[in-house]
Amino acid sequence: MKHDVVGKYNLPTDVIYCKKCTISNQRPRIIFDAEGICSACRYSEYKREKIDWNQREQELIDLCNKHRKNNGEFDCIVPCSGGKDGSFVAHQLKYKYGMNPLTVTWAPLKATEIGRKNLDSFIGSGFTNILGTPDGKTTRRLTNLSTKFLGDPFQPFIYGQTNFPLQIAVKHNISLIFYGENGEVEYGGDMKNAHRPTRDIQDHDKHYFSGLAPEFWQEHGVSLNDLKPFMSPKYEDIKNNKTEIHFFGYYKFWDPQENFYYCQEHTGFIPNTERSEGTYSKYASLDDSIDGFHYYLGFIKFGIGRATSDAAHEIRDGKITREEGIALIKKFDGEFPRKYFKDFLAYADVTEKELEDVVDSWRSDHLWEKVNGEWRLKQTIWY
Amino acid sequence: MTMLRVIPRLDIKGPNLIKSVQLEGLRVIGDPNAFALKYYAEGADELIFMDSVASLYGRNSLSDLIRKATDNIFIPITVGGGIRNVEDAATILRSGADKVALNTAAVANPELITMLARKFGSQAVVVSIDAKEISENHWEVYTDMGRERSGVSVIDWAKKAEQLGAGEILLTSIDREGTRKGLNIELIKLVNEAVKIPIIASGGVGKKEDLVLLLQKTNVSGIAVADSLHYNRCGLAEMKNFLSENNYKVRNF
Repeated sequence: MKHDVVGKYNLPTDVIYCKKCTISNQRPRIIFDAEGICSACRYSEYKREKIDWNQREQELIDLCNKHRKNNGEFDCIVPCSGGKDGSFVAHQLKYKYGMNPLTVTWAPLKATEIGRKNLDSFIGSGFTNILGTPDGKTTRRLTNLSTKFLGDPFQPFIYGQTNFPLQIAVKHNISLIFYGENGEVEYGGDMKNAHRPTRDIQDHDKHYFSGLAPEFWQEHGVSLNDLKPFMSPKYEDIKNNKTEIHFFGYYKFWDPQENFYYCQEHTGFIPNTERSEGTYSKYASLDDSIDGFHYYLGFIKFGIGRATSDAAHEIRDGKITREEGIALIKKFDGEFPRKYFKDFLAYADVTEKELEDVVDSWRSDHLWEKVNGEWRLKQTIWY
Repeated sequence: MTMLRVIPRLDIKGPNLIKSVQLEGLRVIGDPNAFALKYYAEGADELIFMDSVASLYGRNSLSDLIRKATDNIFIPITVGGGIRNVEDAATILRSGADKVALNTAAVANPELITMLARKFGSQAVVVSIDAKEISENHWEVYTDMGRERSGVSVIDWAKKAEQLGAGEILLTSIDREGTRKGLNIELIKLVNEAVKIPIIASGGVGKKEDLVLLLQKTNVSGIAVADSLHYNRCGLAEMKNFLSENNYKVRNF
């Protein structure tokens, strides 16, 4: 069976690359303007030139003043894996803006040693943390199903990552949830939230769940009891709690590399011992041994691998040039995640052949061709 | 007693001086030439220019920068990053560098060390080792700005580099690099005792006391410093004065 990738994600069939960064128009929801520049690059210019960051910080202080409790109770939630971004947000809110954050972590599918170490260091640097660990059997089942049906093993993690903070917010009567950056705006996607600090809970299905909420998997025989930990609280409970989801990146200039420098100094963060497969970085997305397959399948569906995304934002952030980015993409993009391959097959309970069939079912004709028996992209940024 | 050479290390990417932490991150510090001139004026004994991402990006591009720097700087200069063959080394040396440093290319092709030593002399060949502690007291050589494991033990590699004709070893502790948490004395001591050629210790200097500690525990002849100098936390004069006060020999300026 072949999936209709173009229809499902509403992709243009002519691939073009942004003239400033390395992203292509195959990233879902990204917009290219008449000059061939992507919406993420345009936002990046805007955030450097037009935003009055002093005024934005004042808005942050006002927001904190509104929510600060000063009575021993937690007054905000920061979802955080112990990585550089969430740790930065939590540390700033607590130690610079005097908030009392409760940090919330959704367990990785298959945690890495370095990820756990960084989470421990983060907690050790002065934070209370709730770790949500869902039933392993159901998580593996959902990993299996979402690999086969959605072409993304990571969906169960994304459910919890998105919904668990909401559950904790409702349970503890905390109305303010603070995320790091708005990925849609910073990296390309729906621009409706570019000029506001909050996100709509109604967008979660569309932006984070490929249109399928956890409840959907009942159709595949997963019970409601087993799905409950992955599910969002009732919408009316979220509303009655006056829950607001804010992006720190709206209030403070967002620079992932600077978050790394900040966290290695303040929260004991250390980069990985080697680069992540498929890219060159050592400091991002290093806590889950499964996530290489999430990025790899993204590469299959959209022709956009992890190195392409990393290079694109580092170009926007002025860390590397477009030429350097292209050299890195040529070297690393689409590299198969071999390191945890066997672990992944065992965890997701799929055979090598099944995975190969899944991968090939997501190869769209407008992106891929077979040359001498080998799949290759019809077009890349370097050829 | 050997005199300690205090050597500012300038990591370069494109037109900028950068500073990483544990060989990650490309934070821009400023214009490498301006920093080099400043350190020369302040009494640096040598300078190291390292195009740290050259192998990662598959290029080498320091020769113009070196040509400019050597117009006004008259202390030994070591240049590393992306040197893959005799020609690359010749270009760098012709630009005015006194020594070339090899890491990624030498690990891939150890014979290169011998070829360069025969052609330019061992005094011009520095083997740069990025060492990562992978289990207690066991360090492995990494390449490509600390991104790829080589599978080679640091001690074995240091000995082999010496046999092949290297004249000096620049030894960087990846775990300490950019952290200001102090030098990795155990590692430095182990390598220093394994070879006869001089070692430049690199990675982790956070305060002037770290230099004295190094000399109390080892007889290493060179120390590379970056973070402390670039961020103006502790200057060259302060470091050298402190060494003198502790009765260690330094070249005064």
